[in-house]
Amino acid sequence: MILEAKEIRKSFTEGKESFDVLRGIDFGVERGEIVSLEGPSGSGKTTFLSILGCILTPTKGDVLIDGEVANAKKLNDIRKRSLGFVFQQFNLFPSLTALENIEYALNVKGIRGREARLEAERVIEAVGLGDRQAFLPRDLSGGQKQRVAIARALAGKAPILLADEPTANLDSVVGTQVLELFRALAKKENRALVIVTHDPKVRAVADRVVKIQDGRLS
Amino acid sequence: MVDLATKSLLHDKLRFLITVSGVAFAVTLVFVQVGLFLGLMDNASLTIEHLNADLWITSHDTKNIDFAHTFPETHVKRVRAIPGVASADNLIVWFMNISLPTGSVEGTEVYALEDFTKWNFPWNVTGGNLEDLRRGNYMFLDSSAEHRYGGPFAIGDYREVIGRRLKIIGRSTEAKSFTTTPLTFMNFTLAQSLVPSELRGNTTYILVKLEPGANVEQVKAEIRRRLPYNDVYTGKEWAARSRNYWVESTGLGLNMYLTVFLGCLVGIVVVAQTLYTSTMEHIKEFGTVKAIGGGNADIYSILAKQATIAAVLGFGLGALMAYAMRPLIYKIDLKLVIPTPLFAYVFAGSVVLCLAASMISFRKVASIDPALVFRN
Ligand SMILES: Nc1ncnc2c1ncn2[C@@H]1O[C@H](COP(=O)(O)OP(=O)(O)O)[C@@H](O)[C@H]1O
Ligand SMILES: [Mg+2]
Repeated sequence: MILEAKEIRKSFTEGKESFDVLRGIDFGVERGEIVSLEGPSGSGKTTFLSILGCILTPTKGDVLIDGEVANAKKLNDIRKRSLGFVFQQFNLFPSLTALENIEYALNVKGIRGREARLEAERVIEAVGLGDRQAFLPRDLSGGQKQRVAIARALAGKAPILLADEPTANLDSVVGTQVLELFRALAKKENRALVIVTHDPKVRAVADRVVKIQDGRLS
Repeated sequence: MVDLATKSLLHDKLRFLITVSGVAFAVTLVFVQVGLFLGLMDNASLTIEHLNADLWITSHDTKNIDFAHTFPETHVKRVRAIPGVASADNLIVWFMNISLPTGSVEGTEVYALEDFTKWNFPWNVTGGNLEDLRRGNYMFLDSSAEHRYGGPFAIGDYREVIGRRLKIIGRSTEAKSFTTTPLTFMNFTLAQSLVPSELRGNTTYILVKLEPGANVEQVKAEIRRRLPYNDVYTGKEWAARSRNYWVESTGLGLNMYLTVFLGCLVGIVVVAQTLYTSTMEHIKEFGTVKAIGGGNADIYSILAKQATIAAVLGFGLGALMAYAMRPLIYKIDLKLVIPTPLFAYVFAGSVVLCLAASMISFRKVASIDPALVFRN
């Protein structure tokens, strides 16, 4: 199991009130497996994904990456090595070209120079944007932006890919294309992929569907 | 390495321009203010440096070269007799009235020596022969008089100085005083005879040349012993005393420090403000940097680099603007002196202050929660 969550609980405090968003979730993904995590709005999907992605620490419970407990002290190292993210808002750097967006992410992860350039070129070709390398995000369509974001997540050797509502800002046809591309690449490179969504199209590309309701998986 | 710092900085051209202009404005302000100050200071001791005397003897407690007071001209003989003194000469510096062809009366600052050639003074003669000054009612006039008196003069012209017609037999350039009064050069006894009430039998300074290897302190002590009612300075000390008088008495020094301080403040505020706004606007990008594994240090280095770029470009632009202003400043009879060390200090100051300004954003950066990348 490349990614495992054990007895995850998360509560937020707002003023004096404290409320539980996640009430004990056990979850796991294998390499090469694609999981769709569904649930109504406000059910805690993003919260859970943030915890899986070592961006948020759970109130209780552990996240294990390749069998090793993620420790609060080295969360950003873990993110560097093991995780790739795709966001609903794409979150590309507007001043960098498509290729540079990918290259820069590799630089942050410690891969530099020619090696970073070659890897960036490999993944941008893989998402079919070889001819859009030098475009700034503002000159790309929504679908193209999300493909750049997918390429950025794929770049490097991160075994786990996490996507939060990756199709929410795309129209239906483009959304389907992006999802199919994402699936194909994740499968080909044997990466684990968790997609959080309330878009039913995601089911079509997932190996497994889990639902989150009232802070628990069902 | 993809240069996110530079690309992001250049992405918003208007803000970039404002930041660089802010720095440039501050740099120009500092250069002009300090440069003018140094220019004025230069003038305050210009004649002292060019006369190049080893020692200056003044009347007791004279504040600066322009404010001379008299003492007996015969003192010079006592000085000549001191071992270690190679030569000593009287020098009169005195303000006199000069009547112009237009009928108006202006002031001139007279330097009177017996032997101008010996002291190579004035140092920049553009017409006439200094030797001739001792031969009659003659004068040299510095070219700055043309601008100051509002009209050209020519060798051969006559001017009335305190009622006596003197012939202009030569001219100099670059001889200036802090007071901006144009300098006139004439024979020592001629100057004495123009103001008999004060100058007959008197001088205002004694210039001393020492023998090679003479002990300066010993000679000074001996002069003090023999002329207990006079003061004696080395050329350097006297130049410094003359300059300091103006710095302190006119508030020029304070004024300069204040403007430099304000310049720095303006620069720092503009840079801090634009970098901070920029940080706030790019907060989601910085969150993304953190989400993909970057640390605070990655973001600090982006901000520091942006600040450094703004500093370097702002400095370059500011220095150019200061240089462009030089001819204008010369036109109003002032000069801008920008020595290399000042250049280096202002450059270092720009970089350091811009970096300091960028640190205002550091706290904000440290508090960025990468979880914000999931929010809309
Ligand atoms: N940082 C936070 N502070 C307080 N409440 C939060 C925070 N993040 C999420 N929540 C709350 O947790 C619940 C789940 O949010 P979220 O995980 O974003 O749901 P989903 O992604 O399924 O729509 C919501 O009620 C939301 O308001
Ligand atoms: Mg959500």
